[in-house]
Amino acid sequence: MSAALQGVEALRTVTAPSPRRRRRRSSVNGGTNWWVTALIAVCSLTVLIPLYFTIITALKTPDQLGGTGFEWPTSVRWENFSDAYQLTNFPRALMNTALITVGAVVLTLLTNSLVAYAIARNMHKKFFRGLYFYFLAAIFVPFPIIMLPVVKETALLGLDTPVGLILLYTVYGLSFNIFIFVAYIQSIPIELEEAARMDGASTWGVFWKVVFPLLAPMNATVGILTCVWAWNDFLLPLVVLSDPSAQTLPLAQFIFQGQFNTNYTVAFASYLMALAPLLIVYVIAQKWVVSGVMRGSVK
Amino acid sequence: MIASSTLVACSSADDQVVNLDFFQFKPEAVKEFASLIDDFEAKNPDIHVVQNVVPDPDTAIRTLLVKNKVPDVLTLNVSGNFAELARACVFANLSDEAPASSVNPAVQKIVQTLGSCDQGSGPEVNALPFASNASGILYNPQIFAENGVEVPTTWDELLAAAQTFKDNGVNPFYCTMKDAWTAAPAFVNLGGTLMPDGFFDKLRGEGSDLDTVSFSKDFSDAAQKEVKLYSFCQDDFASRDYASGNKAFGAGDSAMYLQGSYAIPAIRATNPDAQIASFPYPVTNDPDSRVVVSGVDVGLSIGRDTPHRKEAQRFVDYLMSPEVVQSYSEAQSTFSPLKNAVPNADPALAGLEPYFTDGRIIGFIDHQIPASIPLVNMLQSLVLTGDSEAFLSDLDSEWSKVAARTATARKGKS
Amino acid sequence: MTAPAASATRRAAPPRRRSGRTPRAFFWMVVPAVVIFFGLHTIPVLTGMFFSLTNYAGYGTWDLVGLSNYVNLFLDDRVLNSYGFTFGFAIVSTVLVNVIALAIALGLNARIKFKTAFRGVFFIPYVLAILIIGYVFNYLFANSFPAIFESLGITGLSGNILADPNFAWIGIVITTVWQAAAFNVILYLAGLQTIPGEIYEAAGIDGASAWRRFWSLTFPLIGAYFTINMVLSFKSFLQVFDQIVALTNGGPGTSTESIAMVIYRGGFQGGEYGYQMANAVVYLFVIILVSFIQLRFLQRREASY
Repeated sequence: MSAALQGVEALRTVTAPSPRRRRRRSSVNGGTNWWVTALIAVCSLTVLIPLYFTIITALKTPDQLGGTGFEWPTSVRWENFSDAYQLTNFPRALMNTALITVGAVVLTLLTNSLVAYAIARNMHKKFFRGLYFYFLAAIFVPFPIIMLPVVKETALLGLDTPVGLILLYTVYGLSFNIFIFVAYIQSIPIELEEAARMDGASTWGVFWKVVFPLLAPMNATVGILTCVWAWNDFLLPLVVLSDPSAQTLPLAQFIFQGQFNTNYTVAFASYLMALAPLLIVYVIAQKWVVSGVMRGSVK
Repeated sequence: MIASSTLVACSSADDQVVNLDFFQFKPEAVKEFASLIDDFEAKNPDIHVVQNVVPDPDTAIRTLLVKNKVPDVLTLNVSGNFAELARACVFANLSDEAPASSVNPAVQKIVQTLGSCDQGSGPEVNALPFASNASGILYNPQIFAENGVEVPTTWDELLAAAQTFKDNGVNPFYCTMKDAWTAAPAFVNLGGTLMPDGFFDKLRGEGSDLDTVSFSKDFSDAAQKEVKLYSFCQDDFASRDYASGNKAFGAGDSAMYLQGSYAIPAIRATNPDAQIASFPYPVTNDPDSRVVVSGVDVGLSIGRDTPHRKEAQRFVDYLMSPEVVQSYSEAQSTFSPLKNAVPNADPALAGLEPYFTDGRIIGFIDHQIPASIPLVNMLQSLVLTGDSEAFLSDLDSEWSKVAARTATARKGKS
Repeated sequence: MTAPAASATRRAAPPRRRSGRTPRAFFWMVVPAVVIFFGLHTIPVLTGMFFSLTNYAGYGTWDLVGLSNYVNLFLDDRVLNSYGFTFGFAIVSTVLVNVIALAIALGLNARIKFKTAFRGVFFIPYVLAILIIGYVFNYLFANSFPAIFESLGITGLSGNILADPNFAWIGIVITTVWQAAAFNVILYLAGLQTIPGEIYEAAGIDGASAWRRFWSLTFPLIGAYFTINMVLSFKSFLQVFDQIVALTNGGPGTSTESIAMVIYRGGFQGGEYGYQMANAVVYLFVIILVSFIQLRFLQRREASY
């Protein structure tokens, strides 16, 4: 246990943001570091080359696959995208996935940060400290242990639906999210909350009006991770959802993987279509991380 | 919408539309089934069929069982997995239904051998074969003609043919050992033909001891022949996968291809004009001993406790009608499992078709081996290393371990 | 640990004034979560553990079999081999992922051009579907890399690494590192953002070499991030499954079969659910044990800065 306690002490500091300080960007000799830019550009090739491969594969006809794989398509087949659109019932699958993802992200941000706040501010009490470890331990549980019991339970409770999935993502994300939220909240000076309390705010009011806005950078990080998880997850929707019309994108996309015949070109087109919204979310959230830190620094 | 109409269907009289939940495991056949469903619904306006194409059907069906939501009608690959579920009495008994009598008995026997529900009144019929596949050797008739090679009918002729191609600088076989399972088709042909009668029954009977029969004792010829065949593969056969094999064979890069009828649509996807023909494995030097290994690619089942048994049966009857079975088999390069069926006119299947119609077929022996044994991975090692003794003793040891574990399970039951 | 850790610890000190009574609102904040978490996570865990004492196949009837599943586990060389492979894989991948991700994060945090674009690029592997990754890397390993090595005259490397029983794991490591680095880059970037620029000035080593600045300031300041990333990545690599299915499916032979793969294949596809649940329970305790050992070790290191 003492090892665990020490562990937590150190981990708690992990996401400490130093919200009152200015970011480094504003400091010393503001020129661009071209050497590092070049190095990063070269490194990014390891990502861009497979990405190029993916994109041109999505543009080919099946008989053009092969060779080195890097050849420019001899004739571009845009129908791969429209085929993928039709075969996956794209609008419906996209809508299902988007609803589940948005639901999971919103519910996660609202509830997980709240739980983390209560724990972070009462870590000196046995009950809350115990809870912290209880939630934390779940990070280490491998999914196969809970898979079939969860399927059974969700079906019994009528949660074998998108709503149930949202709940599951929120609950299963709790362990990791509490871990990083608690660390972050503990680094927020308590004086801010006390000032609000003096003005007559309740504990709830303090959280929603003072703490939650300060969590913006962490919310962005947790939001990204939850979003990617819920968007791409295959196994949980596969085993939990019962109604075929609730199929998410990762499930619908399996239609290209036949038992003896995988339709790679159309599958790749379909995966690219599913990837685009995530990239947009990431770029937006990235800016939010930065601006959140800046906002913190104003206080 | 769907939920409400289901409720209505459950609670009211026959004049309402009944929703059938149709679990369809084959992603490549979605379009075929969709148009069949349209046709069926036009003829049966009181039934609405919802096709549910699931990824990873083995996992999906198990979760549906856990949820107690067995679909009304199912298609499943009739394999060892299917048999386990059938033995657990998950599916309805179809033996008294009309289509059961129209099925080619040799095909139905393959289904029954795997096992079915038996609640005291004898084994039931839990799946009707809708489409059958066959595993033989695919070959390129043009390359055969150019090299003056006839279709081999004996093991020695097969080796001679392979040697001729090799000497002429043509790849005899295009092998794809990057995907372990591609070693299995040859093995099920060799092992299925060469194993003693009732091998698996005896093996299961002796528990974990393996005293009287074992893979080491009874499969060494098969294992060695497998290694021999794979010695005629192209140089980089360990690196190539199934997709590249289909493309290579379709492009005429090898004379033969150790795959079954199920690979034909995939080969044609890479080259619609691919030269494909087929012949059964000549496993021994007796041409008359040749058989074709056949499996039921798509079996039709009905959930045991479906509230819409009658409607489900009508849908199954429709699917099992000769016209539907035939049109499906032509679209998917499969064989019709019905008696007196019109032979599939696909030239690629012509070499195997007569064996099928005559009932000279045997089942896939890998369906007899529990899925917890990594058979295909072990076969992959076998053909890569050529060490048949290690393969056989590993297989015996895995079998024995699983037998011991299920034996303790049985003890727990008593 | 230096400044931020110390200040965080100071700030983390509980508000003593109210230590007597906890406002009731705090309980309302956690109790519903605890109840739901217990219902949807803890109960399934206990149920799964219970089934490890049965011969349940995942459907149908079952009976209690005592500890025989656990006994059989230690007699199963296939399970033992999968532990060996999984640990070796996880150790190598964890080290590589963290070194590479930290380097990339440092680069992305430096004063470079096109920062947002590059950050987006390094995020891509994290969101690519495993089918794509599997196909692309399978293809690269089968065709592109051998061709490159052959043209360089290195014939020893001109085969498909994934087809070699001795080296296939390296191919899996490369693919895994490629994909997993993105997640760690995000966390390291979050860590680097917390380091104020003035610290470098204050420490008076603004003119020091980048290397020295990194070791004497940056790395100690994000030491806690290093710990968290090491523990989390090791834990998730111990659960490796998808990449292997996509790349080798456990082959050649059973040389790259991971623990999760054995559990999934035997338990959910092979009908030995009870037996594989025993495997999963052992696996859970191994993960927890290893993670705590790792935490202790890494914290000692952190403390020594």
